[in-house]
Amino acid sequence: MTTKDTQTQPPFIFRDGAVQAVLDLRVYRLAAIQKSAYRFAERCTAVLGSPDADRIPVRFAFPPAITEQDALETVRLFFQELLDQELREQVGDETRALRALIVAQAFSRTDLIRQD
Amino acid sequence: MFHDRARYQSSRGYQLAPLRFSRLDDARYIATNDVGEYVVMPREELVEFISHSLPANRPTYKALKSRHFLFDEHSRVALELLALKYRTRAEQLANFTGLHIFVVTLRCDHSCAYCQVSRQAEGRLEFDMSQEHADRALDFMFRGPSPTLKVEFQGGEPLLHFERIRYIVERAKALNQVHGRDLQFVIASNLSRLTTEVLDFCREHGVLLSTSLDGPEDLHNAQRPVRGGDSHQRTLDAIRRARQALGPDAISALMTTTQASLGRVEDIIDEYVRQGFHSIFLRNLSPYGFAVRPRASRPYDVEAWVEFYKRGLAHILRINEQGYPLQEEFTAILMQKIFSPRGSNYVDLQSPAGLGIGALVYNYDGAVYASDEGRMLAEMGDFSFRLGHLSRDSYESIMTSETLLAHLSDTMPEGVPMCSDCAFLPCCGADPVFHQATLKDAVGHKAFSAFCKKQMSVLRHLIGLLEDDARARDILMGWR
Ligand code: SF4
Ligand code: SF4
Repeated sequence: MTTKDTQTQPPFIFRDGAVQAVLDLRVYRLAAIQKSAYRFAERCTAVLGSPDADRIPVRFAFPPAITEQDALETVRLFFQELLDQELREQVGDETRALRALIVAQAFSRTDLIRQD
Repeated sequence: MFHDRARYQSSRGYQLAPLRFSRLDDARYIATNDVGEYVVMPREELVEFISHSLPANRPTYKALKSRHFLFDEHSRVALELLALKYRTRAEQLANFTGLHIFVVTLRCDHSCAYCQVSRQAEGRLEFDMSQEHADRALDFMFRGPSPTLKVEFQGGEPLLHFERIRYIVERAKALNQVHGRDLQFVIASNLSRLTTEVLDFCREHGVLLSTSLDGPEDLHNAQRPVRGGDSHQRTLDAIRRARQALGPDAISALMTTTQASLGRVEDIIDEYVRQGFHSIFLRNLSPYGFAVRPRASRPYDVEAWVEFYKRGLAHILRINEQGYPLQEEFTAILMQKIFSPRGSNYVDLQSPAGLGIGALVYNYDGAVYASDEGRMLAEMGDFSFRLGHLSRDSYESIMTSETLLAHLSDTMPEGVPMCSDCAFLPCCGADPVFHQATLKDAVGHKAFSAFCKKQMSVLRHLIGLLEDDARARDILMGWR
C-alpha cells in the first residue's frame, strides 16, 4: 500500500474512498500544492485543510467506483506532479522580473535595457 | 524601474530565461519559450538545469543556450533578441480579423446528420441574407485594418443563394478600388449546384471552392444524404468540372470524422489520394448544431479521435515516403505554430477549426458573431458569442463590445490556470466557443477539457515524431 516515489511520506491508506496526507510547507510551496490539486481535479478532489505551522493536511477524495490500487497510483502521480510544480515555482521566481522586462522591451519604442 | 542587465545575471553560472515545461513521455520533458523554441531532455537534466547545476559542456546546455532558455556571461544579445522575437509573434494581433464569413443562406439540399449549422429546407427563403445586410457587412469588413481580407461564403448551401454571392463579390471588388486590400474569395459548398454560370463567375473573379468529401462512396453517402442518395458521385463530378474550369488547385476538400469513420481512416485518406488531393484535414466532430442531437452520429470521445488521428498521420507519412505528397492540415497548422517566427500565442488566424477568434461572421439574419463556431452555438440557443447586429450596431461598438473584449482576453491563455505553465501553450489556443459549448464556461477548467486533452495528445505525438523518427521529421518539416 505504500507508494514508491514519495519517500518523505508514510505509507498511504485508502479508507472510505479517500487518502489522507500531510505536506510539509518547507518542502512544497502552497502555490505548487494548489496548482497540482487543480491539475488533478478530474481524477480526485484534493481538499486542503488549514495549515498548522509548516504542515498542511490534504485529503484526496475519489469517485465512488475507484479501486484502491488506482487511488494509490493517483496519489503517487500527484506527488510527482507536485515536484514538477515546485520546479515551476522556482523558474517563476527566478524569471518573473526578466519576463516583465522582455515584454516591456518588446512593446516599447525606447530601449529599456541599459547597455553595459 | 528597469535595471542593468547585470542585475538579472545569476551568480550561479547562468541565468534562466522565461520558460515553461511539461512531461513529453515517461522519460522526457519538453521546455518551450515565448519566442518559438523548444528543447527535449530527460527529467534529470531538467532538474539540473533549473537548479543551476547543468554543466556547460553538455549538448543540452548548448541547445538551451542557443534557443534562449538560459544566458551566461557570453550571451550578449539574448535579451534584445528575445524582445524582438516576442514582438514579432505578438504582432499577429494587429492583423486581427482577416477572415470575414458571410452566411448567405441557411437553406440546404443535403441533410447530413452531423450538420453543425442547423440547416433549413430549400424553399425557406426567409433564411437568406438580404442585400441591405450584405452592404453593411461589406462596410464593416473594410473598416478593419487587415491588409489581407479573405471572404468566405458559408451556409447552409451558399450556392442556393448565388445572386447574393455575386453581389458581394462584385461590390467588394468595386469598393476595393479605393481600399486597395489583398482580397480573396472562397465558397464553402457541397457543389450540388455548381452550374456553368457559377464556374464562369469563379474563373472571372478568382473565387476558390472548398467542399466536403467524407471518404469512400459508401461512407460519404451514408453521412451526407441527399435526394437520389448519390452525393459522393455528384461531388466527384463537380470536383472534376471545377478543376477543368478553374485549375487543379482551385478546389480543396474537408472531411468530418464520425463514429462510422473512426475505424476507416486509411480508406478515407486513400480516397483523397485517388481523387488527386494533396491535402486532407482530419477534423473531429464539433459539439454544435445537429452534431449533438442524439439521433445524429453517436458521439465518440477524444481518445478515440486521437487514435484515429495518429493512425491517419502514420498512413499519410507512408504515402509521402512512397512519393505522393500529401499534407495533413491540422498537423501543418501546429507545425507552423511550433516553428514559424510569426506564429501567434493569442489568436489563430490560419485555423478554420476555431482555435481562437480570427474572424467576423455575418449571419443570414444580420447578427454578427466572433467566430463561425459562435454562430453555430447560437443556433442551439446560446448567444454568448453574438457581438451585435448589422442593422443596429456600428463597427466601433461591435469591435469594442464587452463580449468581444472578454472573449479576446479568454484567448490569451497566459493567464489561464494550467495553460499559464504548460509547455504546449505557444502551439495551443483557447477555443472559447468549444469550452462554452462543453463546459458552459468560455475559459473552461482544462483538467476537464476535451480540447486540452486533444491538444496535449497530438502535440506530444508530433514532438515525439520530430525527435525520434528522422524520416517523419523530414516530411513534417516540409509542411511548415
Ligand atoms: S453539413 Fe453542409 S451540406 Fe450537410 S446539411 Fe449541413 S449545410 Fe448542408
Ligand atoms: S489547453 Fe491544455 S494543452 Fe493547451 S495550453 Fe492549456 S493546458 Fe496546455
